[in-house]
Amino acid sequence: MMFLAWNEIKKNKLRFTLITGVLMLVSYLVFFLSGLASGLENLNREAVDKWEATAIVVTEEADKSMPQSSMILSDVDGIEADDIAVIGQLNAIATNGDKKANVSIFGIEKDEFIMPEVSEGEEFVADNEVIASDALKDDGFKLGDELKLSSTEETLTIVGFTEGARFNAAPVLYGDLASFQRVKFGEAAGENEDQINGVVLRTDDLSNVTDNDSLEVVEMEEFITSLPGYTEQSLTLSFMIYFLFVISSVIVAIFLYVLTVQKISMFGVMKAQGVSNGYLSRSVVAQTFILAVIGVAVGFGLALLTGAFLPAAVPVSFDIVTMMGYGLVLIAVAIMGAVFSVWTIVKIDPLKAIGG
Amino acid sequence: MATLELNQVTKSFGTGHKKVDAMKETHFQAEKGELIAVIGPSGSGKSTFLTIAGGLQTPTDGEVIINNQNITKLSEKKRSKIRLKEIGFILQASNLVPFLTVANQLKLIDQVKKDNMTKEELEQLYENLGISDLRNKYPADLSGGERQRAAIAKALYSNPSIILADEPTASLDSDRAYEVMELLQKETKSKNTTTIVVTHDTRLISYCDKVYKMTDGVLVLQEKEVTE
Repeated sequence: MMFLAWNEIKKNKLRFTLITGVLMLVSYLVFFLSGLASGLENLNREAVDKWEATAIVVTEEADKSMPQSSMILSDVDGIEADDIAVIGQLNAIATNGDKKANVSIFGIEKDEFIMPEVSEGEEFVADNEVIASDALKDDGFKLGDELKLSSTEETLTIVGFTEGARFNAAPVLYGDLASFQRVKFGEAAGENEDQINGVVLRTDDLSNVTDNDSLEVVEMEEFITSLPGYTEQSLTLSFMIYFLFVISSVIVAIFLYVLTVQKISMFGVMKAQGVSNGYLSRSVVAQTFILAVIGVAVGFGLALLTGAFLPAAVPVSFDIVTMMGYGLVLIAVAIMGAVFSVWTIVKIDPLKAIGG
Repeated sequence: MATLELNQVTKSFGTGHKKVDAMKETHFQAEKGELIAVIGPSGSGKSTFLTIAGGLQTPTDGEVIINNQNITKLSEKKRSKIRLKEIGFILQASNLVPFLTVANQLKLIDQVKKDNMTKEELEQLYENLGISDLRNKYPADLSGGERQRAAIAKALYSNPSIILADEPTASLDSDRAYEVMELLQKETKSKNTTTIVVTHDTRLISYCDKVYKMTDGVLVLQEKEVTE
């Protein structure tokens, strides 16, 4: 069945290059959008993904929002899990005198599992030392920078950088709980030294984490999708991708239908000679498969290439597994488009086609 | 033994007072090794006869029997299989696939059917038709006569037991037309097949064993010598 399909492609190169080109452009767009979607998602969640945590405990009234949750250290005593890490969180604007950046300050305990790995510099030791997301490096911040903050007189010092640490689109500054409390409460820090926002945990059994009714255990994925704007962004891009699937199916259907109609008398002659509908249909499907695979593969390569040349400000990150999934869907919908032509072939009356 | 038999076959189109009888009650029998001509003016029902005999359309009444198998009531799918196995069509409109070379036209048949000509037989066929040098050309690069010869090669390649030819010499000059008829005659005799040629070229009749004349849907066996 490849015989007929491939020979026709070889003979009519321009025609089939055009169809492949359209498929290539559609798949390029799909892959690029998927890169953009996962880039935007990472922007919101990469710090949280790094923790490899199961769930987070916040107050029930905070409605899954960490900044709105206010707990005290003694709440941790009532929490059952394999691994536990306390966290305090605060959003602020930080400046090193030259550049400004929106940051998310995380107060943590150094010996707990959400402590980030340092990729450059050192871990925080002294008061008000922080490990910063390396995204800040791209924004012009350096090791040793003294950061003034929008909400307080306290300053923080960058002693180290860590990779992949952004939360809700803001680069993260990791410091110890005491530094966090000084930033958050200023002179009242002493009275609030047990204030935290939530407890991150790893466990196999989420049902028995706590029996405190004022606390809520939120699974990590749910916690992330509840971040402001996160779901809206993902859905927008996902919808564009789904529409592109439909569009590519329709484009292929139209192209192949026109080609098939042009070849009606040829198909009719072959049918008169006894070539079966099955053979001709498989041939058309095989042809679509060849074109779709080439188009999708080229689109895939182009998307990766474009990603490599884009400025860092564009949040693309290619998730190869997702892209391969989308690629398979594109090939599948192209073949669905071809089925439309199969129906046309089956309906051809060989007698009419040969002018009998 | 009859390879092709039409019993009380009629074909009409339309209904009521618009009804047109393309073929009135027809009896026809063709034996192995026979080369038969069907002549008649255009519109006389020759093509209807050929397409019914080839199982491309079903008669309004009567039955068509190919190699002892009654195909009248068979589904299109089954008739398609019988066409592939038993019948070689040489059609008026070129029956070549535009994007395949002459050699690949025949390869296509290998894709869908077994027991086709051997390599040696094929070489001989190319030779006889004078198209040995054209095998790697596309139909668009061939003259009308060359296309017709390629179409004949395609029809013969599958070793059919019945060859149905609609004006096979239409686009050939006289010499080539005689050569093609000689070839069809030779194939018919050596392979003991049945060949039916629909034509209005009465010069070709001398090659045929029997001649039928079709007039207004009525098929009549002719005395060969008497034809005009």
